[in-house]
Amino acid sequence: MASTRNKLIKLLEKTRDNYVSGQFLSEELNISRAAIWKHMKELEKDGYEIEGKSKRGYRILKSPEKLSENTIQWGLNTEWLGKKIIHKSSTTSTQHIAHQLAQENTPHGTIVIADEQTAGKGRMNRKWHSTEGKGVWMSILLRPDILPYLAPQLTLLTATVLADVLSKDMDTEPKIKWPNDILINNKKTAGILTEMQAEQDQIQYVVIGVGINVNHTLGDIPEDIHRKATSLQIETNKTFDITNLIQHILQTFESAYDSYIKYGFPNVKNKWESYGFRIGETIQIKTIKKSWEAVFLGIAEDGALLTKNNDGEIKKLYSAEIDWYREGERNHVN
Amino acid sequence: MLKVQEIRELIKLIDQSSIDEFTYETNGTTVSMKKTSEDIGVKPITRVETVEQPVEISKTEEPKVSESVEVTKSEAVEPEQQSVVDYDYEIESPMVGTLYTAASPEADSYVQKGSKVQKDTVVCIVEAMKLFNEIEAEVNGEIVEILVEDGELVEYGQPLFRVKTK
Repeated sequence: MASTRNKLIKLLEKTRDNYVSGQFLSEELNISRAAIWKHMKELEKDGYEIEGKSKRGYRILKSPEKLSENTIQWGLNTEWLGKKIIHKSSTTSTQHIAHQLAQENTPHGTIVIADEQTAGKGRMNRKWHSTEGKGVWMSILLRPDILPYLAPQLTLLTATVLADVLSKDMDTEPKIKWPNDILINNKKTAGILTEMQAEQDQIQYVVIGVGINVNHTLGDIPEDIHRKATSLQIETNKTFDITNLIQHILQTFESAYDSYIKYGFPNVKNKWESYGFRIGETIQIKTIKKSWEAVFLGIAEDGALLTKNNDGEIKKLYSAEIDWYREGERNHVN
Repeated sequence: MLKVQEIRELIKLIDQSSIDEFTYETNGTTVSMKKTSEDIGVKPITRVETVEQPVEISKTEEPKVSESVEVTKSEAVEPEQQSVVDYDYEIESPMVGTLYTAASPEADSYVQKGSKVQKDTVVCIVEAMKLFNEIEAEVNGEIVEILVEDGELVEYGQPLFRVKTK
């Protein structure tokens, strides 16, 4: 049933502005014309506007704006990602739900999406503002067959996926701030939070949380973070279709992930560095014991931050607080 | 070529085994290890006293042609801690990263000395490249010693907590 409907949507979307005859649809899908008509009525329930004209056929006037499990799934060209989608109009945080689902043996590739998060989770439980209907608030549940110490590479991979989608489909020039924040014009537009449950040598599951500010106006962003946060709309003066954006992300993610599992990290590293923020510049690094300046060289073959100290020593860092802006520009973004 | 964590893993395995000497050769790199201690004890878990582990792995330290790692079995050497803690399981870090003992700076620690833990009790978080890994106890028992501090950088395989299992 659902797959017939998927095919139907694809057929209608392929010829977008032209009519598709009921006869053609009925032959392609191998169902009666009465059944086609029933499917059309179902699509309208999910927010599609479809015009049906006798002798000419059907065409989509408008795709639904509202998110639902169906609207994301229809037109989604993936093999395994998003085959199961859980959509909530409002929830505490999609990470929270994804963790619960993971404990209940929910399969690899499941997606949790919300229109609004009331307690969006940032790093160390910092709050993430997730306004209703304005952005992408999504968690991806994965059960990768890789060693736990390699899992941080998935965060970098996700960052390259978002940067790819934002540059190719949204016509922006995103940068990735190591390891995983997406900046447009030096301001944060998207964030990624990856959480894992693993044993010493085996991953139980990974939940990758993605938050993207899409159709926010300045008024939707708290004033105290205006200088460091932005949205696609603010930077491009365009509004974007959220469903479409989610589908593009999932499709791009699936192929990037499959390629990573097959070929490893080198391609991800190259792509990451092509978007890398402040590569070749001096940054301030802080760990619990000390603070020093170093030149940011790029990322290592495993994704770690590669730096060169003043004395020429090259160091790999896996975890540190970094001040990306030198004196005078401080606190601009953190 | 062996990675630092692989060498560390080797040291641990050899230390727990009855092997006295071990040599590994590949692509012109040789790693040899030798135990100096005569008594090959039958303690349930032997504390591995590795060299001070720098977390920022220096690139300039290209593997030498021959690395000799001496593993000495010393009795618990911390001067102020004479009493030997009774434990039979160590929770180890599955990756390099920063250790957090609580979910957020304001929250209470996941566990304290004396806390009873189940297999699936979260004992801490290790973060690397903004991936947050919730570490579970993996055994039922009681936390008898905490070997790390909040915010500390930890290594792959580094013992974090000691547990007396039930």
